[in-house]
Amino acid sequence: MIKPLLAGLLAVGLVQFAYAQTTFPKNGVYDERPGLYAFTNATIVIDPQTTLTNATLLVRNGRIDAVGQTVKLPAGTVVTDLKGKRIYPALIDIDSDYGMPEVKPERTSRQAPPQLESNKKGPYYWNQAVQPENDASQLFKADDKKADELRKMGFGSVLTYPHDGLARGVGVLVTLANDRENMLVLKPNATAHYSFSKGSSGQTVPSSMMGSVAVLRQAFYDADWYKRAGNKEQANLSLEALNRNQSLPAFFEANDKLGILRADKIGDEFGMQYVIRTSGDEYQRIDEVKATGASLIVPLNFPDAYDVEDAWDADNVTMAELKHWELAPTNAGKVAGAGIPFALTTAELKKKSDFWANLRKAIQYGLSEQKALEALTTVPARLLRADDQIGTLKAGKVANFIITSGNLFDADNVIFENWIQGKPYIVNPKDKADLRGKWRLSVAGMSPMALDVTGKSPEKTEYQLMADTTKIKPTVSVDGETISIRFQPGKSMPGTTRLTGYRKGATGYVGTGELPDGKTVSWSMDKAAVEPTPNATASTTMASGTATAGASSTAVGSLLYPFVGLGNAQKPQPQTMLIRNATVWTNEKDGILKAADVLVQNGKIAQVGTGLKAPSGATVIDGTGKHLTSGIIDEHSHIALLSVNEGSQSSTAEVRMADVVNSEDVNIYRQLAGGVTASQLLHGSANAIGGQSAMIKLKWGEAPAQLLIPNADGFIKFALGENVKQANWGDANRVRFPQTRMGVEQVYMDHFTRAKEYANGWATYNKLNSKEKANAVAPRRDIELDILAEILANKRFITCHSYVQSEINMLLHVADSLGFKVNTFTHILEGYKVADKMAKHGAGGSTFADWWAYKMEVHDAIPYNAALMNREGVTVSINSDDAEMARRLNQEAAKTVEYGGIPEEDAWKMVTLNPAKLLHLDNQMGSIRAGKDADLVLWNAHPLAIYARPEKTIIDGTVYFDLSAEDAKREAMQTERARLVQKMLAAKAGGSPTTKPAPKAPRMFHCEDLDEEF
Amino acid sequence: MKKIFILAFATLTGYAQNPAPAKPQAKPIALMNGTIHVGNGQVIPNGVIIFDKGVITTVADATTARLNMDGMEVISVAGKHVYPGLISPASTVGLEEIGAVRATVDKQEVGVLNPNVRALVAYNTDSEIIPTIRNNGVLLTQAMPEGGTVSGSSSIMQADGWNWEDAVLKADDGLWLTWPGYFATVFDFTDFSRVIKKNEKREEAIAALRATFADAKAYASQTEQSPKNLKLEAMRGLFSGQQNLYVRADYAKDILEAAQFARAMGVQKVVIVGAEEADRVAGFLAEQKVPVILSALHRMPNRPDEAVDLPYRMPGILQKAGVLVSLSYAGEWWRTRNLPFQAGTAVGFGVTDREEALKMITSNTAQILGIADKVGTLEPGKHATLFVSVGDALDMRTNRVERVFFRAAPPTSTTVTSGCTSNIRISTVNE
Repeated sequence: MIKPLLAGLLAVGLVQFAYAQTTFPKNGVYDERPGLYAFTNATIVIDPQTTLTNATLLVRNGRIDAVGQTVKLPAGTVVTDLKGKRIYPALIDIDSDYGMPEVKPERTSRQAPPQLESNKKGPYYWNQAVQPENDASQLFKADDKKADELRKMGFGSVLTYPHDGLARGVGVLVTLANDRENMLVLKPNATAHYSFSKGSSGQTVPSSMMGSVAVLRQAFYDADWYKRAGNKEQANLSLEALNRNQSLPAFFEANDKLGILRADKIGDEFGMQYVIRTSGDEYQRIDEVKATGASLIVPLNFPDAYDVEDAWDADNVTMAELKHWELAPTNAGKVAGAGIPFALTTAELKKKSDFWANLRKAIQYGLSEQKALEALTTVPARLLRADDQIGTLKAGKVANFIITSGNLFDADNVIFENWIQGKPYIVNPKDKADLRGKWRLSVAGMSPMALDVTGKSPEKTEYQLMADTTKIKPTVSVDGETISIRFQPGKSMPGTTRLTGYRKGATGYVGTGELPDGKTVSWSMDKAAVEPTPNATASTTMASGTATAGASSTAVGSLLYPFVGLGNAQKPQPQTMLIRNATVWTNEKDGILKAADVLVQNGKIAQVGTGLKAPSGATVIDGTGKHLTSGIIDEHSHIALLSVNEGSQSSTAEVRMADVVNSEDVNIYRQLAGGVTASQLLHGSANAIGGQSAMIKLKWGEAPAQLLIPNADGFIKFALGENVKQANWGDANRVRFPQTRMGVEQVYMDHFTRAKEYANGWATYNKLNSKEKANAVAPRRDIELDILAEILANKRFITCHSYVQSEINMLLHVADSLGFKVNTFTHILEGYKVADKMAKHGAGGSTFADWWAYKMEVHDAIPYNAALMNREGVTVSINSDDAEMARRLNQEAAKTVEYGGIPEEDAWKMVTLNPAKLLHLDNQMGSIRAGKDADLVLWNAHPLAIYARPEKTIIDGTVYFDLSAEDAKREAMQTERARLVQKMLAAKAGGSPTTKPAPKAPRMFHCEDLDEEF
Repeated sequence: MKKIFILAFATLTGYAQNPAPAKPQAKPIALMNGTIHVGNGQVIPNGVIIFDKGVITTVADATTARLNMDGMEVISVAGKHVYPGLISPASTVGLEEIGAVRATVDKQEVGVLNPNVRALVAYNTDSEIIPTIRNNGVLLTQAMPEGGTVSGSSSIMQADGWNWEDAVLKADDGLWLTWPGYFATVFDFTDFSRVIKKNEKREEAIAALRATFADAKAYASQTEQSPKNLKLEAMRGLFSGQQNLYVRADYAKDILEAAQFARAMGVQKVVIVGAEEADRVAGFLAEQKVPVILSALHRMPNRPDEAVDLPYRMPGILQKAGVLVSLSYAGEWWRTRNLPFQAGTAVGFGVTDREEALKMITSNTAQILGIADKVGTLEPGKHATLFVSVGDALDMRTNRVERVFFRAAPPTSTTVTSGCTSNIRISTVNE
């Protein structure tokens, strides 16, 4: 007897718990409903894989109680018959700022003095853009107007968080119901969020993309230190939060395809796999994106067409823009096709209401409906670790579902109701009368008329009235049981006739109306006796129409690598090549060989000689009358970068240019056309200790990681003089230390002194045995001092921007006194005054051929500088620091012949072998010798002649620039352009919105260029 | 020891102060047996050129000419090359010294409409830029004002002289107009970013210009005006044909519109400067006989999809279309010494030959600037403003200017003088 009793008590208990447990007092009488709803005879899409027909969904107290074809309905259930209709799980938007405070930039004027420290008072991180302590559930304020917009689109819940800063805090999963916030939160502390954007922070750091990466990395190392030891030294709520957030799914907002790769690299360093919010262009680098292993959150933001009606103005639209316009809708399909798990979001849409049109477009362009549904239901639920609550219509889940007229993805689908947490939100009335068909309209005193109602669905109908042979366009409103018709009968009866009536039986309406003259008449309307099938006919016509249009409009052009007009249709491949009978500038003992052959195999120079045999399959290139040299190496370049200066602090040794290599920069190609094969991408010169260089080969088409030269020595940029002391930055910038050359010295003294102590700390720790280590506390990892310690250990090498003799002398003294070497002075325009000191120190000089006069510190520059330094035994190279000039570094080298009479072979080495030496790459490049990289340029004339130009530029045995293929390339571009332009014209004619084309200002970096805010 | 050597060397070659102007020509000078590049396309492989009192008297084939050389200073330039002084139009040499130091910059006046402002009077003959351009054969520059819509008037200057009065070759040769184009570049000095935007004020600006030009033309129809308007007074020359109107325009539509505007307003001589998209309107320019002064060829293509070498090919494209072309190093005062290499680049990229390219920095430019009666070619009666180079002056390997001669006389003076500067150039490091 005991057992049943117990069971009975439990049952009672359950029932009691099922009542809403409200803690809120109520002004008035409590109104808690039973909350039992059943939907019968529906087609129910339980999840993207499972659809039940003729099924029932039972909802109890905001949760799904049961779903299936045989659901027993409890007494007291409100039953709705959904015959012919469908139920889907409500959609989830996984990247939303719903209910979050607006993010406003703190700093609106660049004229204001720099803000060096955080403005956020309290025990937080030193950098204001790192705010992992932000908690979306604390910030969340429901906003029914915004919720309603999303509800109408079929969304039931969103993951929302403040989109502000590099570390943005934790997100909260909320429903879009209209209720107290307490009831809406499905999951607080759902996710951790990161980005590259400093957001509202007005603090100077970070001021660049690579600065953003560095600040985040240091914060993660600091969090680790805080966990181990730091918490005993200080209270830091930010670091505490960073550690706490480590267990949450981590989302990273990347700003473009390259940002995805960058974000993933940070994750790899700290053992995190981020879920990455993309910007919709990842189809352009889908292989690399897939290789990250990241799940993606994909927006559906498609650009408008451009107004290309004026042919000249239209040329301001780039090929990349034209192609992206066409290909952006293929993005989601490409992501799905690559097998990358992804969710879709409404983020980045200019108008949220574009969501459905764009989603359908994405489906039209290759995204399957099933993948689309997954991306809006099960995938986001899983990524949020909330699949126990939302995403499918299984028993026990939150009752978030939508009722539709048909297939959710069909263009004529209508969302009737969006149920959230068991409460309905009406989007469109679902029991609207279906008027479609042929009607006979009889109005007293008029001859009978035919009313033709057509349309794809009952909700979207068109009306046509025929009075004898006159076509009249009536206005018809059907509202529940009533109907109202307005029309103008014509000349015989000028004015508007208005009829109002009600439904009578299954096939009729009756009522009274008023003629234009005020006379009241009775009227009636009946379904025509012969029921044609306008529906079927219409939809057939429609379908075939769509199919035809679809077939032509979904055909798209091919990708380009990189995704710019001058990109490659196919990535170039390495070849076996024999270049015959050329004048070969070896840069070796042999000097210049006449009528020599060079064999290239496996990306290397295999043989240099005469009468070489071509291996089978080799491409033979006739070099008669031409000159073959090793590729030009630019010691000082800022091309192929997304930003150049993290000029915020006096030292930013922690930033890495490798984080911002831009493989899509057209300057790579332009410089290939000038014979450049490798470049040192330097940080700018805005601070005394800049960032770490990226060494690249100009492999046009490859992704950033493939451009980097493997195993190259690490370099770093230092800078002296006017830029460092902000001499030409205007009056606002008189705050940051240093403001004089006196201060510059002290920056070095200070940082290297600290770096020494830091290195000693680690050395001591590393010497401990494992037992001692267990009891000791490892020092705090400092990614800035790490790099300076590398310099002291002769493992990282300095390229120092410098102009005047005083500062050059100063740095040589600082280096000597602290025990490090300056590998290269770059610019070094007064090197001729201190060349003997440079030579003694072992420093090289990388200079301009003839730049001067643009600022005070270059006043004493002379074009004989290179020759004079060379004479003193300094290894001299001629560099560009300028994307334009790098296209003709051969001419700049030739100027050393003019100014100072350098022998031609030596002049040539100044842009090839010497920079290779300065970059420690001369073991693999810089000369033509068997075994070296096949980085070669075939010139049409003497390479130092003003009349010379490269005919082929080869890197690692692959032809990346071929003058003879240029015409064909241009022709192909013209054809593709013309096709896209015609398509855009058609789109405009078809009513698509357009943007006016305008030229783009190219961002070309020099040393002293500052970045836009990130 | 080494250090002393370096300093001595540096002093010799890089001495920053502008040397004193050349002394007047004492007796006739004959340059014998050099290759004479006349500047009009013609070359005399073994030639003789004689000049007296600063004016060329004879240019002849040395293998056939019979000349009496008595009383002449005869200089052998065998194996070397004689060129007319190169002309750098649209230049700020003499108006701008150290770019970042405001105190040294005199090229841009405040205000929108400054036709009365004259570059001539700000031209600094002691500019340290001047010796550097002379050393590469650039002997004449057009000192050009910048800024505003109408920037002021330019003057043609010789790269030698004590002051602007004796350096000037032609005063106030033309007015400078920056055409209000379809697009405007907004440069933000605080973050060094550039944004190109549709110029919303274009029509308004053109309407204002139209009104100004109409007023100026009406004003010019009367010789005496009261009250006197300095701005309109300064525009008289445009309608009489005494002055050029130099219009800065690059976008193809702007070029068309600007040239049509000038013609419609009664401007007699219009020159398009910059003209970066001139290839698109080459037919128009040729047919309308509108000459162009191209901005530096050493620039980037304007659009990412443009052919990588389009700027280099521009002179050749225009030459073939029959447009009168001049090359410049527009605005880049400290790079002006590279002007001959611009011409060299043009040869490498489509100009038919070196002499045609040379015309673009000598006779074409002289013709456009209205100084062809004096300079631009090596012909009798023209100024002995010329130089001798060891080799091909368009190629930096061989551009070694050994001697430079100027006809150094102010146009107002009746005394004809001539100067000779023998340029000390170090041809090898061992010297």
